[in-house]
Amino acid sequence: MFIDIHVHPAFFEPINQDPAREQMRHDILNIHKNGTAPLEHVFNQMRCARLDRLCLLPADYTTQTGHVVVTNEEIHRLVNLAPDKFIGFAAVDPFSAQALEKLEYAFSELKLRGLALHPSRQRFYPGDKLLSPLYDLCEKYDRPIIFHSGLSWEPDTLSKYARPIEFEELAYRRPKLRICLAHFGWPWVQETAMLLVKYPNVYTDTSLLHFDSAYEFYTHLFTSEIPLTWLDRSLRHQVMFGSNNPRFEQIRMVDAISRLGLRDSTLELILGGNAMEFLGGAGGKEPEQ
Amino acid sequence: MIIKTTWFTVLTTEYNQFLPITDRIERAVAESGVQNGIVTVISKHTTTGITVNESLECLENDMEQFLTRLVPEDWPYTHARMLKDYGSTAGNPTGHLKSLLTGNHCHFVISEGKIVRGSAQDIYFCEFDGPAQRTICIQVFGEEGNGCKQK
Repeated sequence: MFIDIHVHPAFFEPINQDPAREQMRHDILNIHKNGTAPLEHVFNQMRCARLDRLCLLPADYTTQTGHVVVTNEEIHRLVNLAPDKFIGFAAVDPFSAQALEKLEYAFSELKLRGLALHPSRQRFYPGDKLLSPLYDLCEKYDRPIIFHSGLSWEPDTLSKYARPIEFEELAYRRPKLRICLAHFGWPWVQETAMLLVKYPNVYTDTSLLHFDSAYEFYTHLFTSEIPLTWLDRSLRHQVMFGSNNPRFEQIRMVDAISRLGLRDSTLELILGGNAMEFLGGAGGKEPEQ
Repeated sequence: MIIKTTWFTVLTTEYNQFLPITDRIERAVAESGVQNGIVTVISKHTTTGITVNESLECLENDMEQFLTRLVPEDWPYTHARMLKDYGSTAGNPTGHLKSLLTGNHCHFVISEGKIVRGSAQDIYFCEFDGPAQRTICIQVFGEEGNGCKQK
């Protein structure tokens, strides 16, 4: 099963019936001229990219922008429209007094499979004690966290909050909490590799395409920045395919990764096996009562 | 004199695809009421094409292979960089260049209310960066009533 672990469904047609809300998403996410995507089109793209599942990430930037860009309820609605294709994550504003309650509802009632946070946009360091109750809840429900890491193309973002090294203490203190430092933490790729090789609960994804074509960029990333052998030998169980769609397009990214020269078994892990592990197997465990 | 402009959208299903649209154009001409005139079919996009050719599976394959030989996926194109006004990285230079080769429109003469086309001629919408939602514009221009007869 092939999985894209990093998809932003902000422009999926079923949750874009209000033009003002759609425009808010263009402005806040800095993604333009892309229109909205009927689900039939999303499924066509998945088929062409050989993807079986998309992991849908919401965004709650209430403190910074006054908006929940994509709500947990909208994610839940999309998952219900295509439960065989979509995996839903939750998002909360860590500065909200209701954050913990909202996350518990998302896990227990909406059955969302993990938490998505954006330290650069939401302006917190991953080791901030403010986050501890949210981390506790993720451990209680055995739900992983996808953190934005490294460069963000969204406005009003500061990379210092999401530098990979900022996640080390979290990885160290909570070995049972699975965390993904998205976008390979670029440009701190070696720093990300250091955390991956040291901490088995740390994952990353391939959702970066900042220069050149997908094949050119991935070739540079996995030959010049780190050797392909690191990916194929030591890091093969912790790297997941992610696209960051719609900012980057899936078809050429999957094709590029497939042509890097990785072992077939490594490719299978990157394109799906590792995501299954990260998500906790089939569905993530329900908490013990 | 009638000038009637209509649009239709298609959801293409492949990365590269030749989609026959002759029926849609003939229907638009019939509905326009124009007996003698001209019809223009034009794509609203820059990584698609409109072309006229024989609708055969083998030819569709040859056309796709021909364009891929001329415009290979792996080439150091400069249209492969972050476009800040899109907020996304350009990855579709091949689509733009194939579009350059096919052109983005075609014209047909209308006589006695019908498109004048050869028996081998079909109109294709060409997708070069799919799957995508695409819009095609049809403008029918001409006069009602009798005109020159088709031979």
